[in-house]
Amino acid sequence: MKGPRLPSRRSLIKGSAAIGAIGALQLASPFIISARGEVPLRIGMIDPLSGSYAAVARSEVEGAKLGVAEVNAKGGILGRQVELLVEDSANDVGTGVQKAHKLFERDHVDVLFGDVNSAIALALAQVSSAAGKLHIVTGGHTDGITGKDCHWNVFRVCNTTYMDADAVTQVLVDKLGKKWFFLTPDYAYGHTLQAAFVKLLTKLGGTYEAALAPIGTNDYSAYLIKARASGAKVLIDLMGGGDQVVSIKQFTQFGLNKQMALGGALFELESIQALPANARTGWWTMEWYWNQPGVPHVAEFVANIRKGTGKTASARHWFGYVAVRSVQLAAERAKSVDGVKMARAMEGMTLPPDVALMPGTFGYRAGDHQLMSSVMVGEARNPPPGDNPDDLFKVTALVPGEKAALPVDESGCTLRYPA
Amino acid sequence: MAPAARMRLLKLAVIWVVLLTAPYWSAPIGGYPALCSRVVILGMAAMAFNLLLGFTGIMSFGHAAFFGLGAYGAGLALKFATSSTILAIIAGVLLGTIAGALLGALVVRRRGVYFAMVTIAFGQIFYFIAFRWNTLTGGDDGLRGFARQPVGIGRWLLDIQHNDILFYDFVLVVLAVVAGLMGLLLQSPFGRTLLAIRENERRARFLGIAVDLHIWLAFVASCLFVACAGALYACLNNFADPTLFNYNMSGTIVIMAVLGGFRAFWGPMLGAAVFVVMQDYLSSMMQNWMWAVGLIFMAVVLFFPRGILGVLRRRASA
Repeated sequence: MKGPRLPSRRSLIKGSAAIGAIGALQLASPFIISARGEVPLRIGMIDPLSGSYAAVARSEVEGAKLGVAEVNAKGGILGRQVELLVEDSANDVGTGVQKAHKLFERDHVDVLFGDVNSAIALALAQVSSAAGKLHIVTGGHTDGITGKDCHWNVFRVCNTTYMDADAVTQVLVDKLGKKWFFLTPDYAYGHTLQAAFVKLLTKLGGTYEAALAPIGTNDYSAYLIKARASGAKVLIDLMGGGDQVVSIKQFTQFGLNKQMALGGALFELESIQALPANARTGWWTMEWYWNQPGVPHVAEFVANIRKGTGKTASARHWFGYVAVRSVQLAAERAKSVDGVKMARAMEGMTLPPDVALMPGTFGYRAGDHQLMSSVMVGEARNPPPGDNPDDLFKVTALVPGEKAALPVDESGCTLRYPA
Repeated sequence: MAPAARMRLLKLAVIWVVLLTAPYWSAPIGGYPALCSRVVILGMAAMAFNLLLGFTGIMSFGHAAFFGLGAYGAGLALKFATSSTILAIIAGVLLGTIAGALLGALVVRRRGVYFAMVTIAFGQIFYFIAFRWNTLTGGDDGLRGFARQPVGIGRWLLDIQHNDILFYDFVLVVLAVVAGLMGLLLQSPFGRTLLAIRENERRARFLGIAVDLHIWLAFVASCLFVACAGALYACLNNFADPTLFNYNMSGTIVIMAVLGGFRAFWGPMLGAAVFVVMQDYLSSMMQNWMWAVGLIFMAVVLFFPRGILGVLRRRASA
């Protein structure tokens, strides 16, 4: 005999099919919108919103959003409103490449931004140059992007690894000695950053040992034991984003901070914020800092970021903002959003004070498309001296970009525009 | 013609019409040629994997190894050796197949969990080789600096390099060859023997069938087709990176096959379509899209263990 049939099975299937269908409609609907009279200018932005670099990537997107809001409030770019399409690269090169194809083929973006991860930025540049669109690398530092792997359409806001290393090496040697141990991420960024440091350090008569750690490493004990055994006086922590936070946390937990000093190139505001008070030490570079008394427009920018996000502006906010404003300036100079025309217009273009937001006049170098902003060198500090709990860095020197960067003919870059 | 055969031909025709016109009908609902190519390539990998799971009853958790070898083989060939896309794909297929033949010989005696675990280990070995060998493979940065090249057929030069739809058609041609070969293989006495092994290995052994040899041959064939998909994947992105070797990739292949229905020949292709399209949509909307895929996968395993196609089939026969 058959028992009473459970109503759930068939109705469950039907119900889930119905929900699925509704879900599919929900997902599909935004994409059926066809072209309107006034087509917005589309900027695609690929950044690692999940993974080790999530915090800094989010700041870049927030900065870009502020830029877009400001540009749109003033009538857009060449009369067209700007639309920012953000995609998560998940800190994975393959995913980033896939997202780039999607943005170019489906969404027909006019400009591409990204990525924080140097390796992804290099791979994206290959896709964007084939697509013939302007590409601004907001936060990937490896030398190759504006060096031996440069492309006609690729510009970079953040510094090269060489610039950061050059600006800080002398200070590190003066303050912390010549016996270094590098903790270096095992990918493009770490490779070129360490190579630059090694070149500069050996010129000053220093010695070093090094360990390469993959992105996303959780346990640094093996590397830290090696660092202590090396007898080095200073740990040069070159890990990025969340990896740097985790490695420095373990460095202090193991008590190594009593035996070794700490230093390196980037120590970003997001990372300093994420660390406990006793780990906020050492000599580093900052590519932009919010507390610049007397520099025009900076206070206004910091206030706008705080209004939108509740956060203190970091260098990453500035990168995203500069990228959007650079597109605006380039399009207005070129009177077009064509990739080649905008790229030509951006060569040698200097940033006005309300975009530069730091002392000095600088722009995108014509020979390699690298922004020549100054490098801020200084010391992480705790507690902050003023009212703002995020005043965690003391800028002691401002090194002009032209002085820190390799000259164009040594960068290895030859730009080839499409015929 | 017998009605059953006519039905099969009709089904095949429908599948191919849907595949051939995909770049056109998918465009208004948010598709694009590269997405279509991704679906077909990953579907090909899942179908090749299914030669083992669905038709031999063997669970490999390391097929990413051979997918990745196909990709790196093709990428390295294009970068250093040849300017012919076809030769590069052949290089990738050879690399994957040779590795499959050697490693397959080591595992054919293992069954069940042990087979799965040893194959995971294979995948991870290649993952770490690709990750650490910076000078050759580009390490974690991935292999860059190569691009698929136009293919010449007689007097015509097909520009699959710049025309994405043409590349999609090229992928379909390869799929036709691969699917045809797999179909023939499964129709042959060899394929029937594999089914016998799947249904009852001990009985097959008692019947005098060389079970280990057959499993090895099926493994090698599966690796060959997976490597072919991997080589196409490298050509699709003009890029290869170590995550292709990762156990996550192996898991993705398994999920696609099970989702679509691993007892059906075309099931894995359907699973790949669902998986890839969902990934594409959801990952633009939220960072934790795997969460949604995981839920659906669980629902499929719990309620429709024969996958989407299995459910459709039961509907049709009921």
